[in-house]
Amino acid sequence: MARSVTINPPKMCQPMGAILAYMGVHGCVPLVHGSQGCSTYPRYNIARHFRESAEVAVSSLAEDAAVYGGAKNLTEAIKNIKSRLNPVAIGICTTCMSETIGDDVKLIAKKALADDTMKIFPASTPSYVGTHLTGYDNALRTLVETLAVKGEPNNKVNIITGIINPGDIRELKNMLRLMNVQSIFLSDISETLDTPILPGGHKPMLPDGGTKIADIADSANSLGTIAICRTAGSAAVYLKNKFNVPAVLDPAPIGVANTDRFVQNISRLSKAPIPNEIVIERGRLIDSMVDVHHYMFGRKVAIFGDPDLVSAIVRFCAEAGMNPTVAMTATKHKDFAPDIKAVNGEYKADTQILEGTDLYEFHEVVKTHGAELILGNSKGKDIADDEGVPLVRFGFPVYDRVGVYRYSIMGYNGSIYLLDQMTNAILGHKYDPNKLHQ
Amino acid sequence: MTTILPECDIPIPQRRPHIVCHEPGNIILPMCNIQTVPGDMTERGCTFAGCRGVVGGPVKDVIQLVHGPIGCAYYTWGTRRNLSDVKLHRKYCFSTDLTEESVIYGGAKKLLKSIIEAHELFPEAKAVFVYSTCVVGLIGDDTEAICKQAQEKIGIPVVPFHCEGFRGVSQSLGHHIANRTLFEKVVGTKEPETTTPYDMCIIGEFNIDGDAWIVKPLFERMGVRVLSVFTGNASYADLPPMHRAKLNIVQCQRSSTYIAKMIQDKYNIPYINVSLFGMKQTAEALRDVGKFFHLEENADKVIAEELAKYQKNIDYYRKRLEGKKCFIYQGAPRAWHWIEPMRELGIETILTATTFGHKDDYEKIMSKAKPGHICIDNPNALEIEEYLVKLRPDFFIGGLKEKYLTYKLGIPFINGHSYEEGPYAGFEGFVNFARDIDVAVNSPVWKFINKPLEVS
Ligand code: SF4
Repeated sequence: MARSVTINPPKMCQPMGAILAYMGVHGCVPLVHGSQGCSTYPRYNIARHFRESAEVAVSSLAEDAAVYGGAKNLTEAIKNIKSRLNPVAIGICTTCMSETIGDDVKLIAKKALADDTMKIFPASTPSYVGTHLTGYDNALRTLVETLAVKGEPNNKVNIITGIINPGDIRELKNMLRLMNVQSIFLSDISETLDTPILPGGHKPMLPDGGTKIADIADSANSLGTIAICRTAGSAAVYLKNKFNVPAVLDPAPIGVANTDRFVQNISRLSKAPIPNEIVIERGRLIDSMVDVHHYMFGRKVAIFGDPDLVSAIVRFCAEAGMNPTVAMTATKHKDFAPDIKAVNGEYKADTQILEGTDLYEFHEVVKTHGAELILGNSKGKDIADDEGVPLVRFGFPVYDRVGVYRYSIMGYNGSIYLLDQMTNAILGHKYDPNKLHQ
Repeated sequence: MTTILPECDIPIPQRRPHIVCHEPGNIILPMCNIQTVPGDMTERGCTFAGCRGVVGGPVKDVIQLVHGPIGCAYYTWGTRRNLSDVKLHRKYCFSTDLTEESVIYGGAKKLLKSIIEAHELFPEAKAVFVYSTCVVGLIGDDTEAICKQAQEKIGIPVVPFHCEGFRGVSQSLGHHIANRTLFEKVVGTKEPETTTPYDMCIIGEFNIDGDAWIVKPLFERMGVRVLSVFTGNASYADLPPMHRAKLNIVQCQRSSTYIAKMIQDKYNIPYINVSLFGMKQTAEALRDVGKFFHLEENADKVIAEELAKYQKNIDYYRKRLEGKKCFIYQGAPRAWHWIEPMRELGIETILTATTFGHKDDYEKIMSKAKPGHICIDNPNALEIEEYLVKLRPDFFIGGLKEKYLTYKLGIPFINGHSYEEGPYAGFEGFVNFARDIDVAVNSPVWKFINKPLEVS
């Protein structure tokens, strides 16, 4: 992007990602060390996407902290949370405020905790560095660095999900169950941000679910770590360097080839054979692709979002015979361009690669390269409207449709669902209904 | 009133003076407008939120440029439902997207370039509003000088707002900063093309879900000319001539009385406080304005027409809602704006809370509250949960962040910040309000909440 001004960015700041990582830990209260807006805004956005209450504490820094530092507030915040909620852990993330004034969060947190009854994870997540994905990665690595300890081999596979939906996590778990492989999810929002209403009430502050502290500790003893989001891979690298746990950083399991890789990785690490159920699921995906291929062949599709998801979806679109014209991400990542180029090579496509830019530029390129379908989060709505094409929503945040967080676009099953959404959007938009009967 | 300490606050006795219970003859106001207890799951936002999100943001034909790291800009992009007939302000999110380099070397250059580029891409914009966020205040960019320089270059007004999030205790300071900045830098810089003896500004009306589109015509039908609405669906050009009104009326008396007062002090233009929610209060507002302009008969006529049109709907909903109890938790003024209208529907408000209320907000709440009524200043999530469980209101009217907590407890909820399906102001809006309460309270889903799955 040649501009200085950013216009319509599909990216958020580090604390947002860190909060989501902490929300996937059982009994963990996220604590934002900064001014109040920095907790309120992420809470609002999380609530809007997941339709769940997202409880986040804040150290409420103000002018006096700008002068004297935030130690007093952080200490008081930790004591307040502990005495009121007595959580298993507190996950702290910093902001541009606390980083600029230079608080030593680790030291302050250590001093604030007289005993060891509660864990504290202090991640450094200044908003002026990276994006929400960096924040997620930093918080997750902090969790693993703080907790992982060598013990007995556990015969499990670690899965690092990155920022994906509860529905996706449940689908991945389902696949692992079919393969009879035990796993540790780092981290796991599938229950905490998709909670049921049960008779007798509910404790929204510390919802059930999330990865247990003991399991994160045990991640040092696993057969290997598979990060399905390479932007969130640093914890996997840490486990490999420190505890010799093999690390596989691979694309998100969307579409045939990428899901195959996921299944093969699990099978390789765990020595588990690929069961027939998985083969059947794969066959259903291929069957569904066959069923719709003449609707989809050559259709121009433009995609934006987080890099891991976008590159996987570009490949899947190419597998379905579509013509991905633009692939855009605001968060730069070294694997993004090579991923797309590989697809271009294999499928004779000519996808434009946009990295580290904004949706204003995405829109300009869409205008020149064309799109009959746009894939992205809710922030793509105006572009799709202006171009008169449908928008199929995926990623975060999606607040103008219900249920997106509930369904999976991952694995063979999820890919079928995504393909159906895309096909139906095209059918609803382009086709003469009289031609659809047979 | 006496102060009380809920169970969740036993370890945090500092919260005691913030929570009061009405006791006739012993009025104590909750302590307010002071720093939040660190570690609270507070619902408060920041000064930037009050400045950009509430007051400055609705101005529809200006480039709303947020000078800071990306988060602050992203999170205020099209979130508040202040509608307009020009898409610019909700459709586009402008930011300098500061990175580490700017934090070390300063963000001035990037800001200047950003303003110029944004203007080139959007030549239709009538001005640029620049909002400084936390990190800008800490690194000390001279935004004032840069905006001046930019203004000379691009030839349209460039207005800097010093609304760094860490200033003050809540959004409230941000409202004040926005008011003062617009008063000092914009109001009075241009004369209106024409004036009439019936010119009035509506202040503190942000056109949430179309409120301004309902209330403005009510006054126009009386023969009043609405010079500008501050700032719902406002053009930049509406703001400079505000000093030529004959009267100002103030709806959101927390966020915008400041500018009404400044206009009064400098230009001798009186203002009156109004509430444009509910049948009675809206009628009263029309009558007050009618009295000022000697248009009493016109006011009565408009009121009669509106009542003839909508009173029967209200009567219908009253029958369905009579006897219900509710919580109201709002930023500030709507907490007291809505106590009366609730009564018009036969609903008693048993708890009122505000995020950033000041003394005068709480005085107004107290003047309307019944014995036993609980009033909370700056509640946190735990307090809200505790009172929802203890008092079980028939519904809760709050903001999105509390919505799903309330749902999990099986209690109906209405979004009072952005509305469910507004507008809610004026006579017609009140029917929408009543309908939404009916929808929330009388949906059959609630009967399943505590019904276990059993084999009979
Ligand atoms: S507190 Fe500061 S950094 Fe956070 S959102 Fe508000 S202005 Fe931005």
